[in-house]
Amino acid sequence: MLSFFLFSISRAWQGFWRNAAMSLAATATMTLMLLLLSSFWIVQAGFLASLSYVEDKVGVVADLDDNIRQSALTDLQARLAAMPEVRAVEYVSKEEALRRYREQRSAQGQDDLTPFLNDNPLPASLEVKLRRPADYRTVAEFLGAEPIVAKVQNIEDTTDRLVSLTNFLRTFGVLLLAVIGSIVLFIVINTIRLAVLGRAEEIEVMRLVGASDAFIRWPFVFEGALVGLLGAAISLGVLVGAAEPLSRFMVGFFSILPINVGSISRDVTILVLGSGLGLGVIGAWVSVRTYLIR
Amino acid sequence: MPRGNRAGGAMVDPRRPVLVLNDVTKTYPNGRDALKDVDLVVPEGDFVFLVGASGAGKSTLMKLLIRDELATQGTVTLDGDDLARLPRRKVPHVRRKIGIVFQDFKLLPTKTVRENIAFALEVTGTSRRRIKPAVNRVLALVGLTEQAEQYPKQLSGGEQQRTAIARALVHDPRIVIADEPTGNLDPLISWEILQLLLRINELGVTVLMATHDADIVTALRKRVVALEEGRVIRDEVGGGYHRAG
Ligand SMILES: Nc1ncnc2c1ncn2[C@@H]1O[C@H](COP(=O)(O)OP(=O)(O)OP(=O)(O)O)[C@@H](O)[C@H]1O
Ligand SMILES: [Mg+2]
Repeated sequence: MLSFFLFSISRAWQGFWRNAAMSLAATATMTLMLLLLSSFWIVQAGFLASLSYVEDKVGVVADLDDNIRQSALTDLQARLAAMPEVRAVEYVSKEEALRRYREQRSAQGQDDLTPFLNDNPLPASLEVKLRRPADYRTVAEFLGAEPIVAKVQNIEDTTDRLVSLTNFLRTFGVLLLAVIGSIVLFIVINTIRLAVLGRAEEIEVMRLVGASDAFIRWPFVFEGALVGLLGAAISLGVLVGAAEPLSRFMVGFFSILPINVGSISRDVTILVLGSGLGLGVIGAWVSVRTYLIR
Repeated sequence: MPRGNRAGGAMVDPRRPVLVLNDVTKTYPNGRDALKDVDLVVPEGDFVFLVGASGAGKSTLMKLLIRDELATQGTVTLDGDDLARLPRRKVPHVRRKIGIVFQDFKLLPTKTVRENIAFALEVTGTSRRRIKPAVNRVLALVGLTEQAEQYPKQLSGGEQQRTAIARALVHDPRIVIADEPTGNLDPLISWEILQLLLRINELGVTVLMATHDADIVTALRKRVVALEEGRVIRDEVGGGYHRAG
């Protein structure tokens, strides 16, 4: 068993180098396809993160009446927090609202006019963050019916449009990835099929001298695995090389997104290695099968 | 087993039959009958020429023997195994009892003579230790010891065919099947290849050779089986290429 394993590996290695042109062409195709696949994967991950970032911004803001009882406020906060649709509730006091207003004015380079006011005209408010933007209406209606709520700021139209747009984009992204995945599968398997076809003579001789199916199949499967892993290694090298300049370029944009670089690079590594190995092995397996004993 | 048309009349041949075709018909999927009602018994150690016009069914008969094709009707028995009933995984073992030689040699261009021969043993799981002496033995038998490290491209046609014969012999087969082995060679080299096959036959290996070479067949006076449109029309020892008279 072990000697069969070693035999297959050494035959795979020999086969790879003796048909170097074909093997390297297959490896190059494999590399390009894996790069295509992983780039789309990364774009998709960034894209999904952007969508959740945008969706995160959707919340319900309810202005409160002045001079409400503290107990009524605590009670409303507790009931909001208990709603399954609600992720977080933040109370913004009149003073805090004024502070934010001043901050915003100065950030825009405009004069602070508030010292001229006798009174703080801004209402206290509750800012409710949602688990899903689609729940906007439920929570807004709930707040509208509360006696201590003066007014629910209405962004319903915007929210509805955002929800349908993000849903569409998500579905589209998944479909696109599926299409790219199928194209990659098709091209890689056909490339390997061609490489095996180029060795039809060798396979025929093996059959004629009485090699068993296993002896014919496994060297090719290992060779397919070699092509896959080599392609994966080159792809990962290219990705690592491209990651540094790319992230420096994009740092401003990405730093606001809730992207977990560690988990994305882990996912991409697994994706590239897994697809490379899987495609190589499957491609070789199905390509050799045609030549085995009928 | 009585074989009336063999020399000596209805005598029982004491030798073990290594190859038996019993009422074999082969119809290809396209409806073409390549062989029809073929009966053939080849005893161990025989030397048989298979002759017939192009398309008569010679190659088809050989494909049945190595179970590359299955008979549509009748049975093909090789060294006691009914090939139609042979489980798939046993097929390689039967093929190792047969050495096959083709008109186009079927050598691998990226391997040397030695590697081409060793290949047959490697891919059937022979241990490295036993490969080298076996290869050296057949190299000596076909007279290619000197050329062992050369590539097929660097060899003459005759030398290439001798390499192919060496590869066919390296498994110690019971029977050698040669499909027009001299088809690509000039007459002098053809005789050389034939001498080699005769020597192998003297070592006890059964030889079945398909050929168009009338000179060789007529000169050697061996057993001749003639096919015509898939039927055996003649089976006689010492016959010529053409029907006598
Ligand atoms: N795979 C196939 N499918 C269909 N028909 C086939 C196939 N192989 C051979 N034949 C047909 O079967 C008949 C016998 O062919 P075969 O190759 O056995 O002849 P042959 O005696 O070897 O001829 P040659 O001397 O030219 O080599 C021919 O008519 C051929 O066209
Ligand atoms: Mg033929």
